[in-house]
Amino acid sequence: MSKAIEVEDLVKVYRNGTRAVDGISFSVDEKEIFGFLGPNGAGKSTTIKTLVGLIRATSGTLRLRGVDIHRHPGEIKRQTGYASQETAVDDRLTGWENITLQGHYYHLPSKEIAQRSEEVLKIFDIYERRKDLADSYSGGMLKRIDIALALIHRPAVLFLDEPTLGLDVQTRTMIWSYIDKLRKEYGMTIFITTHYMEEADALCDRVAIIDHGRIQALDRPGVLKQQIGGDIITVRFSASNDGAIPALIEAIQGLTNIKEVGPAQDGIYRIIAVRNGDQLIPKIVELGEQHAVATESIRLRRPSLDDVYLKFTGREMRDEEGSREKIGKNRRTQRRLNR
Amino acid sequence: MTIFSDIWYVAKRELIKFTRARVRFAVNLIQPLIWLGLMGNMMKGMTNAPGIGKMLGTGNYLAFMTPGIIVMTVLFAGAFGGISIVWDRRIGYLEKLMAAPIARGSIAFGKMLSTMLQVGTQVVVVMIIATILGVHIVTGLPGCVVILLIAMVFSLILSGFSLSVSATMKTMETLMALVNLVTLPLMFASSALFPLKVMPGWLAAVAKFNPVTYAVRPMRELTLYGWNWAKMAPSLGIVVGLAIVFLLIAQFTFQRATTE
Repeated sequence: MSKAIEVEDLVKVYRNGTRAVDGISFSVDEKEIFGFLGPNGAGKSTTIKTLVGLIRATSGTLRLRGVDIHRHPGEIKRQTGYASQETAVDDRLTGWENITLQGHYYHLPSKEIAQRSEEVLKIFDIYERRKDLADSYSGGMLKRIDIALALIHRPAVLFLDEPTLGLDVQTRTMIWSYIDKLRKEYGMTIFITTHYMEEADALCDRVAIIDHGRIQALDRPGVLKQQIGGDIITVRFSASNDGAIPALIEAIQGLTNIKEVGPAQDGIYRIIAVRNGDQLIPKIVELGEQHAVATESIRLRRPSLDDVYLKFTGREMRDEEGSREKIGKNRRTQRRLNR
Repeated sequence: MTIFSDIWYVAKRELIKFTRARVRFAVNLIQPLIWLGLMGNMMKGMTNAPGIGKMLGTGNYLAFMTPGIIVMTVLFAGAFGGISIVWDRRIGYLEKLMAAPIARGSIAFGKMLSTMLQVGTQVVVVMIIATILGVHIVTGLPGCVVILLIAMVFSLILSGFSLSVSATMKTMETLMALVNLVTLPLMFASSALFPLKVMPGWLAAVAKFNPVTYAVRPMRELTLYGWNWAKMAPSLGIVVGLAIVFLLIAQFTFQRATTE
C-alpha cells in the first residue's frame, strides 16, 4: 500500500533567492500524525505549502497517496485539507456561511454541503453558534472552525500549519484533543507543523526536527529523547574544602549507569544517566557525605524534546527568528485569536 | 462549467458582506444626495445665466450632472474593488481559496463581478434620488437600464485596475493613497461635471484621453437627448474595449502575483 505522503529531495528556492527548503526527504504513513518541529523560518510552512499545491517545488518528487502532486494538482486538492497558521476565517460572515462557501469552493452539491457542514461543525462543537458572526467567536472557536473548514470535503490527509499558534494553554490542549479525535474516529492522516515541543510530544507519532531547511532528526518522540540519555540529574554542591568537589565528581563518574557528568552553570552540575536516575540520587548524596560535600539541591527529570532540539540544532527552541513580515503576520494572528 | 459557479461563490461572499454593511450603504446613499443636492443647487445660479444652458445642452444642471454623479459613484466604488484582495491576503483567506480546487481565474473575476453588482445597486440609488429631485431621463426606463449597463461595464475598468494594483500590495493604506491619487484627477479632467466646451484647452485635451469622458458621453446622451446609437457607438466601443483590456490585465497580474 502506498504511503500517505512521500517527499524526496524537496528543494524550494523563492524568487528572491531564499533557499527555504534545502533537500528534505521523508514519508508519512496512512493514519499517522506526523510533526514538523522547528523555529520560525526553518522551512516548515514552505514544505506544507508545496504539499497542498500552493507553491511549486524548485525540485524534488512529491507524492500524495501515490499521486504526483505536480502532475495532478486538482486531484491532490480534493484529497487534502489545509488550515493555515493565519486562521483564515472570514469574521464578517457567520460560521455557517463560512463553511457552506467552503463546500462550494470544493464543488460539492448543496444538499451534501448542508449535511456535512452540520456534521463537521458538530465534531468541533460550534454547531450551536453557527448563526453568529465569526467576529464574536473566541480564539479557540476560530481555530476550531478553521480546522472544520478544511474537513468539508472529507480529505484523506489534513495539513495543519501551526494549529495552536498564539492560543493559551487550555485552548491548546483542547485543540489537541480534537485533532486526536480526527485520527481516532475518521482514520485521517495528519501532518502538523509546530514550534511547541509539548505539542509535538503530545500529538505526534513521529517528529522531524527541521532547521535551516533540512531535517536534522526524524523519529518517534520517545526514541529521539532516548538518544539524549535516560535521565538528567542536576545537583548543586557546596563544600568548604576547594578540592572536595572535583574529587567527588570523579567518584560519581565511577558509579554505574553514568553517561556524562559536567558543570552546567553557577556551581550546578549536570549528570546524564543511562537509566534508573532515581536510584542514583541516594548514591550521589552518600558519596557527597563521604567527600565532606553537602548536597544543597538535587533534581531529576526526563529528557524533553527541548534537549533533543538543543542537541540537533545547537540552539534553544525559544530563539524566534524569521522575516519581519512573518513576525508581523504572527502578531496579527495572535491579536485575532486573543481578543 | 464549474468556473461560473466558482466565480459566483467568490462574488457571493463579498455580496453577503455588502448587504450586511448598513452604514456603508447609508453613506453610499448620502453621498450622491450631497453631490446632487448641494452642487446642483450651487450651480443653478450659473445655469440661469444666458448662454450657459446652451453649452450644457439643457437648462437643468442637475440633469446634466446626473450622469456625472453616476460615473463618479462607479469611479470610487470600482477603484476600491480590489481592496478585499489585500484583506484576504492578510488574513490568509486567499491561500484558502487557492488551496481549494476552484479555477484560479475565478478569484479575480469573482471579485470584479461582486464590485460590478455592488456598483449597480448604487447607481440605481443615484437614479432614484435624481428622479426625486426632478431629473427626467428622456429615454425613460429602458434608457435607465442601458445607463446602468454602461456603468457596470465601466466598473470593470476600475476594479480591474484596482485588482491589478492590490494583487501586489501588502497594506491597504498604500492602495487607498493610490486610489485617491488616481480617481480625483480622473474625475475632474473629464466631462463628468463640466462640459468640455467650458474647459481650458489643455484640460479639454486631457479629458479626451480620459475613459471617464467616454462613459459619461453615452449616459448623457440617453439622459438629455434620446436614442442616438450612432452617436453613442464610438464611446461605447471605447468603454467595452477598455473593460476587456483591464479584465485581462487584472487576470494576468493576479496570476503572476499569486504564483510562487
